[in-house]
Amino acid sequence: MIDASPTAPAPSRTRLIATDGVAKRYGAVQALDGVTVTIDERATGLLGANGAGKSTLMKALLGLVTPDVGTVEVLGIDAALHPGEIRRRLGYMPELDCLPLDMTARDLVVHMAELRGLPRRAAVLRASEVLFQVGLEEERSRLIRTFSTGMKQRTKLAQAIVHGPELVVLDEPTNGLDPSGRDEMLSLVRRLSSDLGIAVLLSSHVLEDVTRTCDAVVVLRDGRLVTSGRIDEMGGLMGEGVLVRGSGDLDAFAAILTARGLVADRRDGGVAVRGGAGEDELLDAVRDAAAEAGIGLRELRPAGRTLEDALVDALE
Amino acid sequence: MSVDAEIRDVRYSRYEGERRSRLAGVVSLARWGALRSLGARRGWKAKAVPITLTLLAIAPAIIVLGVRALFAEQSAIDLSDALPYSDYQAIIGVVILLFAAVTTPELLCPDRRDGTLALYFSTAVSRREYLAGRVLGAVVPLLLVTLVPLLVLFAGIMVFEEHPLGYLQDRWAELPRILAGGLILAAFYGLVGLAVASLTGRRAFAVGGYLLLLVAPSVVGGMLGEALGDDADWTQLLQLSVLPINFAASLFPDAEVPNSSWAWAAVYALVVGAAVITLLRRYGRGSDT
Repeated sequence: MIDASPTAPAPSRTRLIATDGVAKRYGAVQALDGVTVTIDERATGLLGANGAGKSTLMKALLGLVTPDVGTVEVLGIDAALHPGEIRRRLGYMPELDCLPLDMTARDLVVHMAELRGLPRRAAVLRASEVLFQVGLEEERSRLIRTFSTGMKQRTKLAQAIVHGPELVVLDEPTNGLDPSGRDEMLSLVRRLSSDLGIAVLLSSHVLEDVTRTCDAVVVLRDGRLVTSGRIDEMGGLMGEGVLVRGSGDLDAFAAILTARGLVADRRDGGVAVRGGAGEDELLDAVRDAAAEAGIGLRELRPAGRTLEDALVDALE
Repeated sequence: MSVDAEIRDVRYSRYEGERRSRLAGVVSLARWGALRSLGARRGWKAKAVPITLTLLAIAPAIIVLGVRALFAEQSAIDLSDALPYSDYQAIIGVVILLFAAVTTPELLCPDRRDGTLALYFSTAVSRREYLAGRVLGAVVPLLLVTLVPLLVLFAGIMVFEEHPLGYLQDRWAELPRILAGGLILAAFYGLVGLAVASLTGRRAFAVGGYLLLLVAPSVVGGMLGEALGDDADWTQLLQLSVLPINFAASLFPDAEVPNSSWAWAAVYALVVGAAVITLLRRYGRGSDT
């Protein structure tokens, strides 16, 4: 057995994750195929369809899967040499059901803290803290079998952060949640990196989950890296104005906008509008002009390339 | 506000305190597993069976000591011979078997059923450390029925003796045998119970399979013994349900147990070895670092 004393190199301050040519094959399936990526951002989304290799990559980061080829470094530690050390420093929220139904949320979180090396007294205190943070302080003494899906997801999140990890890996945290539960979970995930100072790697196949919670994105397809980078650099939001589609006299709508000093061109069956002092002013002008022209708005979206456009292009 | 009142800051903060060794994780797995198997922090139904069986296991010792206490002078019973240590575990053999059948599946089946293994292995706990924690969590509670009753009996007899220290001096050699006997039984029933439980996520199947595995050979051995007559002592070696009891009893010089201690030890090692191999095959794969 390995002692708790540091056996691995000191973690890098900036580079959270670095993989180099990582490949993994399961029988006839090439789960990962030469993935080379560096992740430095405090919140990064791992995006891809089912079977893209997201889970395999996350397991490789945790040292649970040994790549056939390539190297994986997490927090400056080689995952092949010190997987246990990495797992002590990381938090992991699995996608599938994994909670012991006959335990209370408090007991589970205390137990998981102890497994990550915290003394019992510290584990109890930390469990109270994180259950409060995820909004389960009132339900901490209830058996997990009585929990809703949202409460179970929050319990999984609580156990992942109880030991104060430097990086938490979240595998599809919004799976099975209703719209309000999903909204709450995404808010919690965003708080991890913005308020609590925990770096986040979030896996999802839902683009909106990533754009709402992350600063950067890594896109996988068929085990290969498709693209990666900062979200705000991958797709312009309002920089190129907005595209308005609707019913009614769109020419009159465009004329009203032009009269207000904006640039309005007919494009793609709608009106592309740009100019103005800022995003708020632009949107206010569109609203007022639509009301004045009496058109019904059907679609209002950025006129330039969005992240979605960039990803669709990358995946094609 | 009283002077003992305390305002606690529950804001999340980075943990910078002490981190214990991975051995502490094994102990935590054993502790929580043992508590779960005994029904702790669960409804009264989960507690009722282990508590009842523990009381039944201690009952013979309490009865003997009670008789001595109530009829101190009138009773002609010599406590030290009334209930020989070598016979005690045979008397409560069914209780021990049922206790193991009830408690050991609780250590592994829920983890397989609920998918909790994925959660455990995402920490630094390795598969073998998980297994070590669960074995410890099975064996320690079993000592409640395999060791504690004999210690109660020994301590009770000693207390009722006119010269307790003299009794201790005369019979101190019994203590290692009692201790070894308790451990032999706990290890056997615990490991075999875990091996069966490792094959299924359903608790009922684990309980049924465990009882079948131990009782069926005993029935066959008994029938063979009947058919072959008095010379077929070896057939008793097939009686797996009482195998560790006979092995433990053979450690006491006054015990009348067929077959030699070595024969019992060999069969015991065979069965326990098979259980360990089963567990290692089920949980041994994967990184151990």
